[in-house]
Amino acid sequence: MLVDALEHLVRGIVANPDDVDVSTRRGRNRGTTLDVRVHPDDMGRVIGRAGRTATALRTVVGALSKNGPVRIDFVDVDGR
Amino acid sequence: MTTDNETTPETIVTEAAETPVQEAAAKEVAPKKDRVAQLENEGDIAADYLEALLDIADLDGDIDMDVEGDRAMVAIVGADLKQLVGPNGKVLDALQELTRLAVTQQTGDRSRLMLDIAGHRAARRTQLTELGTAACDRAKEEGTPVKLEPMTPFERKIVHDAVAAANLKSESEGDEPNRYVVVIP
Repeated sequence: MLVDALEHLVRGIVANPDDVDVSTRRGRNRGTTLDVRVHPDDMGRVIGRAGRTATALRTVVGALSKNGPVRIDFVDVDGR
Repeated sequence: MTTDNETTPETIVTEAAETPVQEAAAKEVAPKKDRVAQLENEGDIAADYLEALLDIADLDGDIDMDVEGDRAMVAIVGADLKQLVGPNGKVLDALQELTRLAVTQQTGDRSRLMLDIAGHRAARRTQLTELGTAACDRAKEEGTPVKLEPMTPFERKIVHDAVAAANLKSESEGDEPNRYVVVIP
């Protein structure tokens, strides 16, 4: 559910929604990490000024989580 | 008040009217209607974005849309939405930020849309108005300025309005995010 929610939230705010990909990574003892990949042109949009947008995404997804904190990493994908 | 803006369209549009005047007259009438339609469109985009999120998260909520002043207002109403409000409305503010970005992404214009969830902002507004009025009473009684707790710009605006309604003056002091209202007797 969190993956879908985050994917939806990100798709809505980028110029290239089809290039959005969210995947789950299980750490050994760090709980769940969600990796967000977006079109290189959209990286600035999902981070936002002073990381404001990234913080907002983390806050909302954290509030939806039923099993404690969730880490969200924004993964830089090289241009094609 | 200047008299320019009070000229009625009938007095402007005469047979001799030149194109620039006609354009100006048309501009005065048209944008208002367009603006409301624009704000309604903002509300629609926001509602779609939020509704899909509620679906994914399996949360029950109805979405109300309205235009108030020069803002689109969107409210999610429902019984069990506390997690979407969060402590001090932190989650609500984050979701409002994302919703504005989603609207901006589609319209190309910056959005000042206001989001409310489970009546949180409405309740906060009542609370801040009461706080402002109480601070006025204290300032009058004691004859000294009364400093309030730090608030967001939107919250301070509500307090300033309450103070103005009580015929007192207020100012904001300090730097964000610790800016606060001072009520002056």
